[in-house]
Amino acid sequence: MDKQQVNSRIATIFETEFEVAPDRLLPDAHLFQDLGLDSIDVVEMIAALQKEFGIQLRDSEEARAIRTLGNLQDFVFAEIEKSQAGDGPAPQP
Amino acid sequence: MQLKRVVITGLGAISPMGVGVEALRSGLAAGRSSTVSMRGEWKHFRNMHSLVAAPGPDLDERRIPRQNRRSMSRMSFYGHDAARQALADAFGDGSSWSGHFSPGRLGCIIGSTTGSPIALNRTFEMMLPERDIAKLDAVKFFQCVSHTVAMNVAQCLGITGTVLATNSACASGLQAVGAACDLIRLGRQDAVLCGGAEELHPSVTGSFDVLFAASSRFNDAPSETPRPFDRDRDGIVCGEGAGILLLEDFDHALARGAKMYAEVSGYHTCASGEHISQSSRAALIRCLQEALDSAGAAPEEIDYVNAHAAGTLQGDAEEAAALREIFGDRVPVSSLKGHIGHTLGASGPIELIATLLMMRDSVLYPTLHLRNPAAECEGLRHVTSPISRPIGTFIKNSFAFGGINAALVCRNII
Repeated sequence: MDKQQVNSRIATIFETEFEVAPDRLLPDAHLFQDLGLDSIDVVEMIAALQKEFGIQLRDSEEARAIRTLGNLQDFVFAEIEKSQAGDGPAPQP
Repeated sequence: MQLKRVVITGLGAISPMGVGVEALRSGLAAGRSSTVSMRGEWKHFRNMHSLVAAPGPDLDERRIPRQNRRSMSRMSFYGHDAARQALADAFGDGSSWSGHFSPGRLGCIIGSTTGSPIALNRTFEMMLPERDIAKLDAVKFFQCVSHTVAMNVAQCLGITGTVLATNSACASGLQAVGAACDLIRLGRQDAVLCGGAEELHPSVTGSFDVLFAASSRFNDAPSETPRPFDRDRDGIVCGEGAGILLLEDFDHALARGAKMYAEVSGYHTCASGEHISQSSRAALIRCLQEALDSAGAAPEEIDYVNAHAAGTLQGDAEEAAALREIFGDRVPVSSLKGHIGHTLGASGPIELIATLLMMRDSVLYPTLHLRNPAAECEGLRHVTSPISRPIGTFIKNSFAFGGINAALVCRNII
């Protein structure tokens, strides 16, 4: 899966789960201030990403530094690559 | 200490008759039954004997902002809609009410039997197959908690006063109204949005079914059940909806020139201390008498009794005995559950709202399907067809598992 495909699937989550209009999904958009998410949404987002990509994100320290959509896209792509390289948690079914 | 007077200044309802107070009134006036077959919808549940219910309408949930909506279940959507109706009724439109209350002076007390049964079932469906906590999502808990409707309505509307949930099954909603009345009487709140909300789920009907308390002989003729006080009654028909009222300090309402439906002049709630599921006529009599005493009303002053009578064999008989003891055969009595089923924790407020409309319109709606009063339910003045008649004072009953009783007395102040 390339980065564009990952970003597209993340965009779908934002549109369907969090009702964010596609034109607002810019890499610099702040998750809280620009896209309107809050702390509960973050928990829901982690669950949705884990389910979508079969990766484990909940206990990741790097996730705490995420502020923008671009940060999130980079983080998810890196986690997928790690998991595929075998140095991350085993993918979930 | 001088107790405040309490009046009802706003009404909102979602019922099996539809959205709004007028839908409820017109359905009752037309003598409609809202019981339907659930044979298709519940076909995946085995060993259910009662295949009837009184479903409520589906609402357009997307009108509620996502971050308010995500923690709401069907019962909270109902409660929220009915609460907005009540505020719009009281203040002309739903957004102009906040300027009438100092911070913390408007409360919200809404009861239900449990948290959302749909969310509770879904939670366990997700978690239990693998005993995996990771399967829980972040918002289901907010739908499962016992005060889910009260907290969601308060959050969504920005209410900052006392928020409580009364969870006493079928008496939940009337206890909410009573608690609201007490808070205003004591001067602790200027007004309270109060009532009850419920949602249908086969596990709810099933819980009554296993106790032989749900109607099961009319699955092929759903519009003939439930049959309160009738000799052919065979149990309750579960319904869903919400009834929300705005109770307000009389002086506060007077100062803003509010329309007043009635004064809440008396209230009492008590327990039987006898049996977990059986009603007790002695406890019902005590509850009714205490409610009358708190209103300073003699039984002779009551013009109408809106009964709890849900169509169960034992409950209807005990209520009839209690009403016979206090009112004899003088006071007209009817139950509205033949029309709208038993909306459980919402039944008290929904039926209270219907009774306030009866008072406004000087009409008594009958007990639908009461064709042959059971011998144990005789000796009352049953209303079996609509009667044009002014109501000066009425009493509304709600009784629940646990031997819990509640009775509210309202007086016309027009």
